[in-house]
Amino acid sequence: MFTYIARRLLQTVVLLFLLSIFLFALVNLAPGGPLAGQGRSRQIRPEKIEILKRQFGLDKPLPTQYLIWLVGNDWMRVDTDGDGIEESFGTRKGILRGDFGFSYRTRQPVLEEIGQRLPNTVLLMTITLFIGVLIAIPVGIVSAIRQYSKFDITVTTLSFAGQAIPEFFLGLVLILIFYAWLKNPWTGEPLLPSGGMVSLNVSGPAVWDRIKHLILPVITGALGWIAWYSRFLRSSMLEVANKDYLRTARAKGLPNWMVLYKHALRNALIPLITMLAIDLPTIFGGAVFVETLFSWPGMGRLYFTAAVDRDYPVLLAILIMGAAAIIFSNLLADVLYSFLDPRVRYD
Amino acid sequence: MSTQTRTLFFLTITVIVALVLSACQPAAPTQQAEEGIVIVIPEDPPSFNPAITDAGYDSLVMELVMLGLADLDANGNPFPELAAELPTEENGGVVIDEETGTMDVTWNLRTDVKWSDGTPVTADDVIFTYQAIIDPAYGTWIPGIDYVDDVEKVDVDTVIVHYNAVYPGYLTQFGGELIVIWPAHYCDATQGFSAWDCARTPLSNGPYVLKEWVNGDHMTFERNPDFYEKGKPEISKITVQIVPDEAVRKTMLINGDADLDMWSPEPMINDLKDKPNVVVSISPTNRWVFRLFFNLAAKGTTDPVATPHPILSNVEVRRAIRMAIDVDTISKNFFFGYAQPAWTEFFREPYVCTNIPRPAFDPEGAKAKLEAAGWIDTDDDGIRECRGCGTAEDGYKMEMEFITYGEYGEALELTQQYIAENLAEIGIKMNLSVVEGSIMWAASEDGGIEQNGNFDIDIYDDGYAGIDPTDFIYSYYHSASATPDYGTNYGRWMNEEFDALLDESYTLDTAARQENFCKMAEILEAELPEALLFTGVNADAHSARLQNVQSTINDLVTWNAKDWTLAN
Repeated sequence: MFTYIARRLLQTVVLLFLLSIFLFALVNLAPGGPLAGQGRSRQIRPEKIEILKRQFGLDKPLPTQYLIWLVGNDWMRVDTDGDGIEESFGTRKGILRGDFGFSYRTRQPVLEEIGQRLPNTVLLMTITLFIGVLIAIPVGIVSAIRQYSKFDITVTTLSFAGQAIPEFFLGLVLILIFYAWLKNPWTGEPLLPSGGMVSLNVSGPAVWDRIKHLILPVITGALGWIAWYSRFLRSSMLEVANKDYLRTARAKGLPNWMVLYKHALRNALIPLITMLAIDLPTIFGGAVFVETLFSWPGMGRLYFTAAVDRDYPVLLAILIMGAAAIIFSNLLADVLYSFLDPRVRYD
Repeated sequence: MSTQTRTLFFLTITVIVALVLSACQPAAPTQQAEEGIVIVIPEDPPSFNPAITDAGYDSLVMELVMLGLADLDANGNPFPELAAELPTEENGGVVIDEETGTMDVTWNLRTDVKWSDGTPVTADDVIFTYQAIIDPAYGTWIPGIDYVDDVEKVDVDTVIVHYNAVYPGYLTQFGGELIVIWPAHYCDATQGFSAWDCARTPLSNGPYVLKEWVNGDHMTFERNPDFYEKGKPEISKITVQIVPDEAVRKTMLINGDADLDMWSPEPMINDLKDKPNVVVSISPTNRWVFRLFFNLAAKGTTDPVATPHPILSNVEVRRAIRMAIDVDTISKNFFFGYAQPAWTEFFREPYVCTNIPRPAFDPEGAKAKLEAAGWIDTDDDGIRECRGCGTAEDGYKMEMEFITYGEYGEALELTQQYIAENLAEIGIKMNLSVVEGSIMWAASEDGGIEQNGNFDIDIYDDGYAGIDPTDFIYSYYHSASATPDYGTNYGRWMNEEFDALLDESYTLDTAARQENFCKMAEILEAELPEALLFTGVNADAHSARLQNVQSTINDLVTWNAKDWTLAN
């Protein structure tokens, strides 16, 4: 196992390196660029373009830009004032030394921007995923053991609806009902806030205020997870239901609940847990629609804004971190699988 | 413990820890609801320095905390902020050397303005700001800065700006909606104008002081007790809340949870007009003119002489296109009647040219013009072909690409489609494209559609802030701006007489400017490099309790926040 993990890690390094080249090229070669008339202005003077190019490092050929992004430029002389003389060493350290550059939009260090948003996204997405899985597991089990029952048919229909309803639509409907229409009968205030992480005029306990702000985004985000995981578990349960070891367990005279929960469910959960491990990066990536609709200052919004504004350093940092998270979560899923299923051996 | 239980246990612990940690953060500040107001905007301002990014939201918050030498009111009238008075030729503040063509502007500063740490605002701050802007490594480019040779300190409250030319926009050179004076003792010059920390944690000399900025969530401003206008501002606290979704912002406004939503588009104005607790403030004048850009060079090229456009290089064709567009229906159907017809660049005070009559909507006249120009539909497929048109080979179809940008939203896309229908009726086929603004206006090396001349006809909105159209006109119509990346003369229209008139208009003689502008308007009408159609509205929706809000094209709506009050 150790050799396997070491080999996979080595592959990961190579893969990440190749991905970094691919992502850098993809982002930079896409049509459009950060030098389009910035902000409201359609006009950008050539004088300003020259200054921005120098400040953003866009005055160098793309391979050099990649090299600086990767390893920095504090080892090479750069021309900061545009006089053609490379007078001083650069200040960039490169992503290999943890310097992801600065945002073109805010001129703040990229890691600082991400650091402000990541905890918010982790909070929202962890709870969303947790609630989603918590509901999906029993729903999936009951749906499987009562296959084709009214419950199963209802859940199946709702699952398809859950997967089909776009988050932005569901979220808007929820806001309309719980913020615009329903009022707290005692205070007359909206039953739930329309968005944000906390109320600006909170007077009660901060935890309760935080929970109130989480309810609608979590419901909006979790519905898809519930649908997805419950369908997955149902299929998984049905797949193991006809296995020989279950027939053997029943033949031994074990009660039905023990057959189901000790033998069927444990085996059915293995692929689900693997799936969960693969889905873990979403905890860090955030959800653009939910965050936008509910004014949640998370990674999804940061990514979207960076993409629209062609804020390459922020965009690249999120992409490369996302790629790393996906690669490592896949590795985690493989390792977990070998722990959970004794039949799987990597050595 | 089973795997399932372990997983659930782990997730439970994670959630509990996350909730406890988040709850341990200090509770949000208590808002004095009766005195404070909430402004909702879709995204964080990049900083308090709009000279760098001009995102609009940066100007919005800048106006709350910082001042320039002078600013413009909603009618375009300049008024002093840090300056004791506006320098003019009459009061000796502006001295023009006719021989050398140079100009000196003397600014006397108010002596009663202090930064929020108690330090007075002085001439050193003005000079510091100028030097930071022109720093070749970390500075930026601002309009008119190339005309400034130096800024000289006369005494602690006086500076002279030495211009190497006569620059009509001098009053907002260090003011207006983009530029403010920065504190020399507080900002770190080594960090540079474009990136210094004081642009995120500014020191105030304006009506409010920034107290808190929770990125992506909200910003809190409190009244500056040392603001130089005693008794102002009346509202003690302003919270700027980040609410990305437009529908949610509108609902918050209606519900009374927001007091101001800036830049309300026409559909929102229409939705809000009957809401008793919401008022929409509309700017007295409009700025953003929706216009057709005709590419006079063949698509994909930038030289209208070597490679003239096979269809649009004939001015009569351009005129026929304008005649076929039903502006009134567009205004009524897609802009809820708020769009106003516009047909000349000089429709705003102080330079209004009445010598150009409004063009008529005349599709039959347009057809006749196209026939006369040699564009005839001989094969009855509904699309005209060149039959002796003189600009293309015989049989060349009258078919073009028609581009707009997506960020404006549905109203512009519907307008684009409707114009295509208008033109189809006179035998011109338009193939529609909607692209991102960052592709449309990107630099030529980034594949920018406009800079590379990669279009036939475009439609989008633009216009100038303030009262001086010269720089704007220069960028769109001067020959020097036709070179890719050297301006926005995307149609590559060039006219020596026009260039000369524009060059002469860089004068403070308003009568001469007026005369020149109206001559220029005639040339533009005769040659029609762009077809101006209508103006969009500039509006800001606010709660009925918030008083004295005045939307303006010259600035952000917070330009007069010091005068806002709350009704009982």
